[in-house]
Amino acid sequence: MQDPRLRLACVLLLSLAAFASIVGAIAVFLWWLAFTARQKSIRHVRALAAAFLLFILIAVVMILSGSDGLSYLVRMTAILLVGAWVYADSQPGDFLATGVWMGGKKTGFELGMTAEMAMGMAEGLFCDFSRIRIASIQKGVVWGPRSLLPAGRVLICDALRRADETAEILAVRGYRGGGTVCTRFAVTVPGIIATLCAVAAFIVAIFPRW
Amino acid sequence: MRLVLDHVNTRRPFWSLEAYGIFETGIHLVSGDVGSGKSTLALVMAGLHAPTSGAVIRDGIGSALISFQFPEFHVTGLSVAEECASWGLEPGIVIRQAGIDVLSETPVLSLSRGELKRLHLACILSKDCDLLLLDEPFSSLDCPAKEEVCRQISRRAGGITVIFTHEQGIFPEIDHLWEITGGSLVDCGRMPDGLRHWQHAPPLVRLLLETGRIPASLTPKGLQEAACRTRD
Repeated sequence: MQDPRLRLACVLLLSLAAFASIVGAIAVFLWWLAFTARQKSIRHVRALAAAFLLFILIAVVMILSGSDGLSYLVRMTAILLVGAWVYADSQPGDFLATGVWMGGKKTGFELGMTAEMAMGMAEGLFCDFSRIRIASIQKGVVWGPRSLLPAGRVLICDALRRADETAEILAVRGYRGGGTVCTRFAVTVPGIIATLCAVAAFIVAIFPRW
Repeated sequence: MRLVLDHVNTRRPFWSLEAYGIFETGIHLVSGDVGSGKSTLALVMAGLHAPTSGAVIRDGIGSALISFQFPEFHVTGLSVAEECASWGLEPGIVIRQAGIDVLSETPVLSLSRGELKRLHLACILSKDCDLLLLDEPFSSLDCPAKEEVCRQISRRAGGITVIFTHEQGIFPEIDHLWEITGGSLVDCGRMPDGLRHWQHAPPLVRLLLETGRIPASLTPKGLQEAACRTRD
């Protein structure tokens, strides 16, 4: 899907559909099978597996406490797949272009730029995390859930430092807010069909509640 | 003890690196431009990144350590003392060796990048290992700190030490020169003969070579000795 506006609409509709009901989650899963590159749409398999394990853990706790953990797991898995697809499908500049299209040159530009920076940082985090893991293991640290705390501390401190430096660089360059982006969106027939199907999935998801 | 890169090839979209060579006991310098693949090669040699083809053969190497360019990645302790302890080292000794003016209880992530780099290098250079891979060990350091790190590296007894850097000014006692150029690892040769084939040679070294004064070593003392030498 080349048009980031349609992609954003699909993500919103599919996330709401998956969250709304099991039927919606199944519809989202079918949509994911039909309109994405499936396994190729998952860029970081380990990160996805870690998130999936976390959802399993929460689901088990919910089941043990008498809640519907299975429903939670199915719905969250569908949302996870949609998230993985949009992350892999996004191109640099998509958020900025969509932000300006939606919110204009001031607020839209700033929101888009923030999202763009966050995406850029997220990509770097995977690489940084991998290096932190290697560095810990060579110290003799047995890598496990307890190792996530120091790793997370380093990543957060580093992200804050980078954000601070980026803000200073923008200020030094004279940025005061807002900006212009002239983007030509490529609306394609497959993109429109996928979006219409996402609308259908959303309707299916909320239909049983009427 | 030796590390063999047996026709190692690492490929990514729009980028590839070929490496063939034998790294024996001593201090090796791998130079190359930014983005040439030094860090990737360090990961491959450490066995942390599988090459697309070829093999990395470790002959008689029991232990290996890699130092990343960014010292933050190595931090696991909250304070300087905890960080030193995580390496199994005494904080007082490490702080002195690093030459930084901090207290043991100082939060380690509050140190400047340069201080953290010096602390990290003091820790990793205090450890005994057969293979030590140093990725850009001189980044974030001022000249006196670079010289101190060079002295510490030169003091390492035995083992294979590989320095991946684009540093052009200050070097330890190098035994063997390599460089990454045109997507391949090139064996320039042992010191001092290897200097003749070193395309990434610093301007001062190049000038000395052009005037027929071949430095015996790349240390500041070695370069100074060559620069002051009377031409034949």
